[in-house]
Amino acid sequence: MNLPEWLKVSVPALTPERGVKEPGFIKKNLEEIASLMRWMMDTEESAGRRGLLQTFDPRARILGILFLVVATAVTGNTIGFVSIMIIILLLSYLSSVGITDMVGRVLPSFVFTGVMVLPALLSIVTPGTHILTIMIGTKEIGITYEGLRTAGTLLVRVTMMVSLVALLLLTTRQADLFTGLRGLPVPAFLVTALFMAFRYIFILLRMAEDVNLARRSRTIDHGLLRDTQGWFASRIAFFVERSMKMAEDISMAMCSRGFTGEIKGMDMDGMKRRDYLWLGGTSFVFFIILGLY
Amino acid sequence: MTREIYRLEGVSYSYGRYPALRDVDLVVEEGESIAILGANGSGKSTLLKLLDGLIFPTEGTLLAFGRPVTEENLSGGFLAEFRKRIGFVFHEPDVQLFCPTVFDELSFGPLQLDLPVEEVKKRVSDLMGMLGLHSLRDRPPYTLSSGEKKKVALASVLTVNPDVLLMDEPTNGLDPRTQVWLFELIEALRGFNKTFIIATHDLSLVEDLTDRVVLLDEAHRVVADGDTVDILRDKDLLLRTNIIHEHPHRHGDVVHIHSHGPYAGHDEHE
Repeated sequence: MNLPEWLKVSVPALTPERGVKEPGFIKKNLEEIASLMRWMMDTEESAGRRGLLQTFDPRARILGILFLVVATAVTGNTIGFVSIMIIILLLSYLSSVGITDMVGRVLPSFVFTGVMVLPALLSIVTPGTHILTIMIGTKEIGITYEGLRTAGTLLVRVTMMVSLVALLLLTTRQADLFTGLRGLPVPAFLVTALFMAFRYIFILLRMAEDVNLARRSRTIDHGLLRDTQGWFASRIAFFVERSMKMAEDISMAMCSRGFTGEIKGMDMDGMKRRDYLWLGGTSFVFFIILGLY
Repeated sequence: MTREIYRLEGVSYSYGRYPALRDVDLVVEEGESIAILGANGSGKSTLLKLLDGLIFPTEGTLLAFGRPVTEENLSGGFLAEFRKRIGFVFHEPDVQLFCPTVFDELSFGPLQLDLPVEEVKKRVSDLMGMLGLHSLRDRPPYTLSSGEKKKVALASVLTVNPDVLLMDEPTNGLDPRTQVWLFELIEALRGFNKTFIIATHDLSLVEDLTDRVVLLDEAHRVVADGDTVDILRDKDLLLRTNIIHEHPHRHGDVVHIHSHGPYAGHDEHE
């Protein structure tokens, strides 16, 4: 093979270092999103610990947590909130769920909800008794007691509901979660679609990381922002195409094994006494809260 | 007397305006072990998808077990019969493993085909024992290694006990030990009158496990169909269809050009 002359020349010795550049926004964002998602969804370790919730049948676990979530959604008084908060803390302790695991999963929704409810504090959204007044020109805007109460209630409610769901996810292996859903009157196709979305997002995420790494291995500068944005847009198009191809292949793989539109599964074993006790307890809390409401 | 499994007459398939297969004639009989050989993009995977009734010819006729394989035919009672008899191991195990656990994966096929639950459990348990998958029973398939995924993908097809196994690049990405395991499994199954149609460019697999080769060229046509040994000995044909290649090779101080492929011994250059 005849190589061109330039290909035969080695790169000269390294030049002295001229400072280290910050990584680009795509690299930072992709890596952080990927690692955050992996951490949030990796619940195998906590689900494998010995604890109270882990001993229940997945169906009972899902249903019981659902009762508590609905109870949180309907409660409007302090006693209700405090009672459910105590239940959450007790369940976390008895199920060996660490505070870091819980806080890490609840914090993003807490911050997001906090930002969303901020306008509700202001008198222009929730009129009422001012506890703090700000003058903007000739206009008076204040933070009202009613606004604070409304925003606070929503924030606490959402945080508690997310805590309950985090508790369920942290004490249930992914496979058990989907098996449990299948055992409940949830359409089988919906469970499979949920599972697949969950499963294939990781494959696409890995692909996105590889694509970014491949680009980094061939570039020495971030380049113009416009070029980077152009490249990013072209990769999004590439991923749409790859996702569609993958969806088509998965559909073929399912058809090849006899799938005709309705997924047939095995009946699960019956629930045990402890599962019924747990369901009785959580439904009792639900009805008490409903009564208080 | 052997039974005819497939008959293809003038079959062509195109992806839009891009042809993938052109004018393919092929007859496959029960118990045969056939390699579909061809360079990348020659149409091997497309041919397997046609044989599995996942896509349908744009021209020509495809018969399976004496019945036409058409979209209309595969929507009735023939579909279950067809799926019970034919299994397809995809090239990419990640595509094929879509259930929450290994157990669910192995039981998916037989359950969809309405086999009794007790029979399904027995088959899954037997196969797990045979392939050493018991320890993976409750693992989500995406947490497995490449070799384990390939084993589970194959097991998920075997639980249906198909008569015909279509395999797309089965040795791709496998370490040597898992490749040997796969060779032994295919060899064992061949003893029970199973029909194998394997798309590959792994010539060691072709040489060891198949009796017949169907060779596709880069124009998506069948250019040869015959005995494995005869085709693998035809160096010019293999070079022309981009199955083997010639390049300089070093042996100590000696550098010479020879082809890489079966029966391409060094002595022919000495």
